[in-house]
Parts: sequence; C-alpha cells; structure tokens
Amino acid sequence: MDSVERGQVVLEARGISKRFGEVVANDRIDLQLRAGEIHAVLGENGAGKTTLMRILFGELQPDEGEIFFHGQRVRFHSPRDAIRLGIGMVHQERKLIPAHTVVENIILGHPDTGTVLDLRQAERRIAALCERYGFRLPLQAKVWQLSEGEKQIVEILKALYHGARVLIMDEPTSVLSPPEVERLLQSLRTMASEDLAVIPFITHKLPVVLEHSDRVTILRRGRVVAELETKQATEQSLAAAMVGREVTLHVERIEVPIGEPVLTVDDLWARDDRGVLAVQGVSFEVRAGEILGIAGVAGNGQELLADALAGLRPVERGRIRLAGVDITRASVLQRWKLGLGYIPTERRDVGSIPDFSLVDNVLLNYYSEPTFSRRGVLAASEARALAGQLLREYSVVAAGPEAPARSLSGGNLQKVIVARVLSRRPRLLIAALPTHGLDVGAAEFIHRKLLEAKRAGTGIILISEDLDEVLMLSDRVAAIYEGQFTGIVPAAEASKELIGELMAGLRRGRL
Amino acid sequence: MWNLLIISLAAAAVFAIAALGELIEQRAGILNVGLEGVMLLSGTFGFMAAKTSGSYTVGFAAAVLCGAVVGLLHGVFSITLGSNQVVNGMAIWILGFGLTTYVGYPYTGPLGLSPLPRVAGLPPFFLLAVALAAASWFLLYKTHLGLKLRSVGENPSVAEVSGISVVRLRYLSVLLAGVLVGLAGAVYSLVYNPVWSYNYLQGWGFIALALVFFSLWNPFLVVAGAVLFGLLWQMSLYPELLFPGLFSRYIWRTLPFVITIVVFVLLSTRWFSLRWGATKPAALGMPYTPEG
Repeated sequence: MDSVERGQVVLEARGISKRFGEVVANDRIDLQLRAGEIHAVLGENGAGKTTLMRILFGELQPDEGEIFFHGQRVRFHSPRDAIRLGIGMVHQERKLIPAHTVVENIILGHPDTGTVLDLRQAERRIAALCERYGFRLPLQAKVWQLSEGEKQIVEILKALYHGARVLIMDEPTSVLSPPEVERLLQSLRTMASEDLAVIPFITHKLPVVLEHSDRVTILRRGRVVAELETKQATEQSLAAAMVGREVTLHVERIEVPIGEPVLTVDDLWARDDRGVLAVQGVSFEVRAGEILGIAGVAGNGQELLADALAGLRPVERGRIRLAGVDITRASVLQRWKLGLGYIPTERRDVGSIPDFSLVDNVLLNYYSEPTFSRRGVLAASEARALAGQLLREYSVVAAGPEAPARSLSGGNLQKVIVARVLSRRPRLLIAALPTHGLDVGAAEFIHRKLLEAKRAGTGIILISEDLDEVLMLSDRVAAIYEGQFTGIVPAAEASKELIGELMAGLRRGRL
Repeated sequence: MWNLLIISLAAAAVFAIAALGELIEQRAGILNVGLEGVMLLSGTFGFMAAKTSGSYTVGFAAAVLCGAVVGLLHGVFSITLGSNQVVNGMAIWILGFGLTTYVGYPYTGPLGLSPLPRVAGLPPFFLLAVALAAASWFLLYKTHLGLKLRSVGENPSVAEVSGISVVRLRYLSVLLAGVLVGLAGAVYSLVYNPVWSYNYLQGWGFIALALVFFSLWNPFLVVAGAVLFGLLWQMSLYPELLFPGLFSRYIWRTLPFVITIVVFVLLSTRWFSLRWGATKPAALGMPYTPEG
C-alpha cells in the first residue's frame, strides 16, 4: 500500500445514497479521491457534505452504494474499519477529550499503544510528526487549554499517528485566522506532496478552494452537480453551481450620517464558564447608524463580550452605558426597555425555545409590553397577528405562526429571530454570528436587514468569524484576540491582510 | 485511643473498597447511586453463605459473585437499554433493601466464625483497600485500558471514533465495580460487624457514594476520605471517649451524614465547578447510543 503512485485512485465512492427519514442527504453520489491531491468538496449547508464524509469514515452506513479502497470493495461497520485501512478524519466539531493531554488524546485507541502506557516514547513519535509537517504544539498541555486552531492540529496529528493515508477534513478553515489558514494549507501541501496522502477537504470558503485545491466536487441537495479541476473554476462559477443560480456575493454598503454614541463600553472584563478572564479590558463605542464589526477567530472572547453586553453574563469590572444610562448591572429586561436587541449565536438554545410555537417565541421579546400582556394575561390574538405579520415581512417558510420553532430550518429560524428583535426598533443591536451556518441566500437576506436597520439609525455590533462578511458590512472593524481588542480600524483602511494579522495577535493597531 | 484508630481503619476499609469500585465505573461514565443496595445484597448473601458453609472463602465468593451480577444488571439497564442511571440506581437500592429484609430475616444474629487475624497490627482489609487504591490509580492513569476507560467516561463518541467499543468498556467497568462493591458489602457483614440485622448497613453505601465525589475521582483521596469518615463514625459511636459530655450521641451519629450533605452542596456550587469541575467525568450518567 506504500507503493501508491500519484494520481492513482485511492478511495472511491460509487452511487452512495443516504436518507434520514424523508430527507435525502446523499443521492447517488460518486466521488474519486486520488493520491497526492487536495480535493475540495463544496456545498451549502445541508447539501450533504458532512453525511458523505461520515459515510467514507464508517461513522454512518449508506443505504445504497459501494466504497472501494484501492479498487477493492470495502464495508465499514464502524470508524475502526476505516482507521485500519488508513483513513483519518478531522471533524468539524472537535472529537477530542478536553480533560486529557495532547499525547493521551493522540495515542488513544492506537493498537501499538501497549498495555502499560509509554508516554515518553509516544511523545517522541508525535514530536517527530510535528517536525515533519511544521506544526507547533505543547504536547503535555491538556486539550481544553488549547486554542481552536491548536485543537484542530491535534486532530490532524492523531489521524497521521494512526497511519492515515487519506485525510478527510470537515471545514478545516472555519476556526482559523487567515495566517493560521496559510500555515495549515502549507502543511497539507507537504503531506500531499511527500506522503502521497490524499487530502480532500470540505469548505464553503471559495477563495481557499481556488487557491489550494487540485480538484473540486460540488454538491447540491445531496447530488454531485459538478466535478472539475480547480484550474477551470472561478469564484462566480463555483458559487452559482453551489446555489443553483447566479448570486450576488456582495451587498452594497450604504452610507448614512453617523449620529450620537448609543453604546459606550469602558474597560470591560468578564469571566468564561471556567472562571478564566476571557474578556480583558475592552473599550469602545458604537454610534447611531454605525456598524462596528468585531472580527476574531472563534473562542477569543467575542461571544462572552456579546453575552456580557446583553446582560447574560456578569461583568467582572468596567462600565457599560446605553444611551447615556449605566446598564452595567441592569437586568436583561431593563436593557431591552432601553433599546438593546440581541441576536445570539445559538439559535436553538438561546435565541429560541424549540418546542414553543413561533407566536410564543416572538412573544418572548414582547411579553412585557402592555399591548401583549394585560394585568399578566397574554393577549393571544394580538400576538398571533404580530407573528403572522413578521413571518410575511421576512418571507419565512413555515407551516404557520403556530408551528413549533423546532420545525424551521436554520435560515428561517434566524429570520424569525432577526424579525423579532428588529421589529422592536432597537437603539443598539448586537448580532453575534448572524449568518453562521446559513446558506448564501439566507445570509444575503440577513445582511440586507442589518443594513436596513442601520439606515433607520440603529447602532449595530456585528460579531463574525467570517472576515469577508465583516469587511463588507462594517463602518469600523475591531479585531479581537485573546479577549482584547488588538485594533479598531475604519473600513476604508481595513484590508484583509491587516485585520487578519490583528486577529492572529501578530500586530497591534490603534484602539 | 489506639484501638479507636484501628477500628476506624476497619470501617474505612468498607468505605474505601466500595468507593473505589464506584470510582472506576464513574470514570467510565456510569453512575450507580444504588451502592447501598448492592452492598446490602452482597453482604447478606455473603453472610448467608458463610454462615451455612462455615467458611469465609465461600462467603466472600458469594458476595463478590452477587456484586458482579447486580453490577451487570445495572449495566444492562444503563448501557444496553440506555435508561436513566439515577432512577436505576434507586431501584437497585429499593430492591436490595426489600429483598435482604425478606431473605435475611431467618439469619438474624451473629455470624459465629472466629474473627480474622490482623496483619501487622492493622485490619487486613484496610491494607487491601490501600493496595486496591494503588492498583486502580495505576490502571486508570498508567495503562492503555485506563486511558480508554477514562475516555469513555469523558466523551463516548470520541472514544468510538478512536476505535474503542464504548459498550464493551462500560460493561467491563460495571463488572469491576460490582466485584469491588460486592467485596465491600462482605467486608462489612463478615468482618467489620458480623451480625445480621434488618437494614444493618445504615447508609454506609451512601457515604461511600459521596466519598467518590468528595475525592474528586482520585483513588488515594478516596482512601484518605474513607479514613476520615471511619474516624467520624467511630467517634459517633463512642463520643464520650474523646469529648465527654459534648453533644448527645445522636448529634454525633448524624455527623457523617451532615458532612455528606454539606460536601454535596459545596460540590454543586458554581465556585467549586469553576475550579474543580474539570475533574468530573464529563459524560457521567449519560447513556450512549451510537448513530447508524
């Protein structure tokens, strides 16, 4: 198996189909993975990428279709079978044990680990792998102490340590800052060239695909709609194939007069769930009609900052003023009444109650208004009328206002949440990852709504891990790194390279 | 005074061996709150076997077997059937309580075998408990099997993609736990206090359960905590030896339980979970069902 030649088909899927209930996740998919190639699999959310990858890794069983490894038909009953043949997978959600060390995580389950652990020898072997592919990692650290990027490296090392010749990576760039992405892709290149490992990876970041892959397969609604060499593709053609129609990748930024400050934050500190100070002395202001983008790699404190501003997390130190009123210790309800609106990251956990109807979910932001609650008794018909109106305005696809929130797709649910918050005409809107995980069409819709709110004079904090989104919408961009702002840059001066370096903590800018 | 310490160590042996068994299964993510029930069952059957046969060996063997069977029963419900482990554990306790009251009644009274000799002046089962603590520490932290067990208790789906059979390891853990807890039941009923009576265990199983949390899942702290609880228990029996006239004996008697409650309250505070929460097996008490 070591004598594979470049270009030879290593792993092949033929006619793979997989259904979950009535949803067809994969519909007769064919895919060929060749040695020495970086093969990108593209598709919108729900296009079936992750299902396909999990089938190739033996985590899911296909309903139909066959998998061939070096031309021989194989059946994977569990990931164990796939690992034995040399297939490794780096999952989108980390498959690591936070309480264990890096070394323990990597050697877990390896057949050569032996009965009594020899951690020193294992560490030497892992260090050698790091050396070879240019990774740097504290091997004795516990995994929970690592950054998201480092955790991903641990997963790659684990796959390599377990002898992977085919490395499947699910959205490997989504948790990395731009310089980290570069470094990762260099390491992947080294693997592809030296080792003749096949490295398909999946992403929806088109520039990354164009720059670093050799071949692209595009999935839409569970089917392969195109397979081509990357050389022949353009950003527009890939996007069109993904969505199935021409899409505008960019909305026009609008200029409106910037007004008075609506939010002033002085030296804000907050702790995360482990008690670590994850927001460390952040100061900034947001003015009416302005969008302040906060760009950062996941886990650098931006979500905690949003929670602290919204009143969901106690503030350790510092001061928050909304429209001149000190709200540092104010309750969530008091903050709403002063005109704060919050679109949280977790649509289904914090943003909505999945088992409640859409009417009730809308009411969650309105129950304290006299129109909807008379002496503590809810006004059902008014609530239904409001919910119905919002569903129409935002063209939400739902069975009706009484449908449970659980039944909505991510994009439609997010529309309901955005509608609920914006219909209150907030002075300040905090939008945390508002388009995270949404398909191109829904993201575009949300972007337009944010710009409408800006035109109406709302001050907006846009927290995003997607640098393109931040640069496209923001008037000023703040980069956050390890709980601190590393720079606040006006849109005109904010280049991708500059913000990328600020996000990675490689340089400091003006604050 | 010296005697008080020695007899406290004999009590500590019971707490420690039971808690070590529970610790191993909790490390693999299985919670058995019915420790009291397992110990009642194994202690009673061990007592009956020893009394009938006149042999300690037969008694201990019966107790260990009984513990293993009840442990596996808990396994079938919580691993294969994926039911709520707390409810399950409570069922085991109620079963143990009721069944032993029924079958043990004719055996009410002393065991009538000559007591086991001390080793180097110490109760033999305390020495065994220390050895078991060292062995479980080695198993959990120095062997691949231990790493696998801990991984299964932290995140079963990670273990599964690492090529580990979660089901097999969890069954192994409940079996090991059953053996140790069963042994602990017999150490109580055959050695520490070899007289059978209705509900003779008086909540020791629950103290052992608390001890696992109290020790932050560290085998050596389990032994240390067991000694502490052993001392407290003995002092509650003979408080006048140490503090004549201070509190009534009823207050002393409740002390181990009061401390258990206080420990549990402290353990569930935010302060504690911020600092020590990471030591708790993350998937403790959670059933695992592989997708397909």
